[in-house]
Amino acid sequence: MAATKGQSISVSLASATCALLGGVTPAAVQAQEEPGWDFNTSLLYYGEDADRVQDLSISVLATRTFMDDRALTMGLTVDALTGATPNGGQYQSVPQTFTSPSGNSVFTAPAGTLALDDSFRDTRVALSANWSQPFSRLYTFDVGMSASKEYDYMHLGANAKISRDFNQRNTTVSAGLAYAADSLNPVGGTPTPLTPMADVGDLGNRIGDQDKDVVDLVLGVTQVISRNLVVQANYSFSDSSGYLNDPYKIVSIVDAVTGDVVPRTPAPGLQGPSHEYVFESRPDQRTKHSLYGQAKYYMNGKVLDASYRYMTDDWDIDSHTVDLRFRWPVGEKAYLEPHLRYYTQTEANFYQVGLVDGAPLPLYASSDYRLGNFDGITAGLKYGWTTRNDNDMSVRLELYQQRGSIPADRLIGNQVGQFEYPDLDAVILQFSYRFGR
Amino acid sequence: MKILTLVASLFVVAGCSSMGVEPWDRDILAKDEMQLTTDALEAATDDHIYFSKEASSGGRGFGGGGCGCN
Repeated sequence: MAATKGQSISVSLASATCALLGGVTPAAVQAQEEPGWDFNTSLLYYGEDADRVQDLSISVLATRTFMDDRALTMGLTVDALTGATPNGGQYQSVPQTFTSPSGNSVFTAPAGTLALDDSFRDTRVALSANWSQPFSRLYTFDVGMSASKEYDYMHLGANAKISRDFNQRNTTVSAGLAYAADSLNPVGGTPTPLTPMADVGDLGNRIGDQDKDVVDLVLGVTQVISRNLVVQANYSFSDSSGYLNDPYKIVSIVDAVTGDVVPRTPAPGLQGPSHEYVFESRPDQRTKHSLYGQAKYYMNGKVLDASYRYMTDDWDIDSHTVDLRFRWPVGEKAYLEPHLRYYTQTEANFYQVGLVDGAPLPLYASSDYRLGNFDGITAGLKYGWTTRNDNDMSVRLELYQQRGSIPADRLIGNQVGQFEYPDLDAVILQFSYRFGR
Repeated sequence: MKILTLVASLFVVAGCSSMGVEPWDRDILAKDEMQLTTDALEAATDDHIYFSKEASSGGRGFGGGGCGCN
């Protein structure tokens, strides 16, 4: 009896407290923020081995919180990219010369090396803005815009999301829609898919700027299970249409018996490719479906963050991603967070090592290693601490490795001994500083 | 709005209404480290890196795209 009475007193006290606070109960998971600015800044180094892509990036995310949980978030990221990237050309035991994407010079990949296009250099600036507005007590409406610009690419996007809390804010259901209109204006013009790489100065197969539209839909449910467990489940649909090729990627034309890339002689007096290559061709439409689940579990100060994603698309790519983070407090004001991520994908149905000389050209073909069959593993460690003036700092170091393969029965002649998947090893080093809260 | 109501009703039927905590038991759930996205900038960085290097993107939210890297 006494216990029941005690319980009912605590219920009344809690209700009274909520009433005193203006009747605004905390959102499903996030507590009410004090009005003010919050700045999240980071410096990132991303570096691939063997002189491949290097990215130095700075980012700022500034959030201004107003009364009643209204918030404006603005983001800026600047990337400086350099390095070489595999152009899709097949690994060969002889040197290979390629016409550069601009069409006004050549570069040579030495014998027995991956065909890398080292003319890659770019600066990317990305901006974003988002407004979050609670309304009618249980709803939140988010609306945002994004834009980014690179030398040869421009992105413009808009998105909106509506969320509703149920069940004493233990359940949040949300639906979001995003639209992106991107345009490509590659150096030297966009190559016509499946046309041959031509000699220097011959831009006859180039077409004008191209567009790509992407529509994303995300439906999600967040559920508080207990005092220390919260889970989320999302379904995402994504539809891309337009020019979906990478304008700098090529496919080698190979001999039907030896599997070697077919040699070629540039026109007299001209520089040009030493072998036969054609520009890749992807379908102009792609539909993806994803299921995503995440759980956060609190154990005596430690937090386990586990997520899984399944993705399938109409290019026959299926992927599974498992991501695990474990936050381990070190003393009162610091923590260590190991991170493990495993990724695996099947290849697109038009992924090719090379196209056989003399056979009819397929409608679609790409040797882009990102459309092949590979696994990726990321292992990292983050150390974070609260500074003397109550700001948050962290540093993380991660290693990302990709290993790809192709079934032996898809290889012909010398490809059997020579084919090498453009495996990747990269380092991610990021410093973050959060202040103003 | 219809979809929201539909999904919500499904969850109510599925028994979610019996899960969860009372408003005054949210001390742990309100902690920074218990938010679904703890570090928005780090999450955006990862989305961007993996969007550039793999054939999948998104899941947690919208794709992480908007670059010529894929």
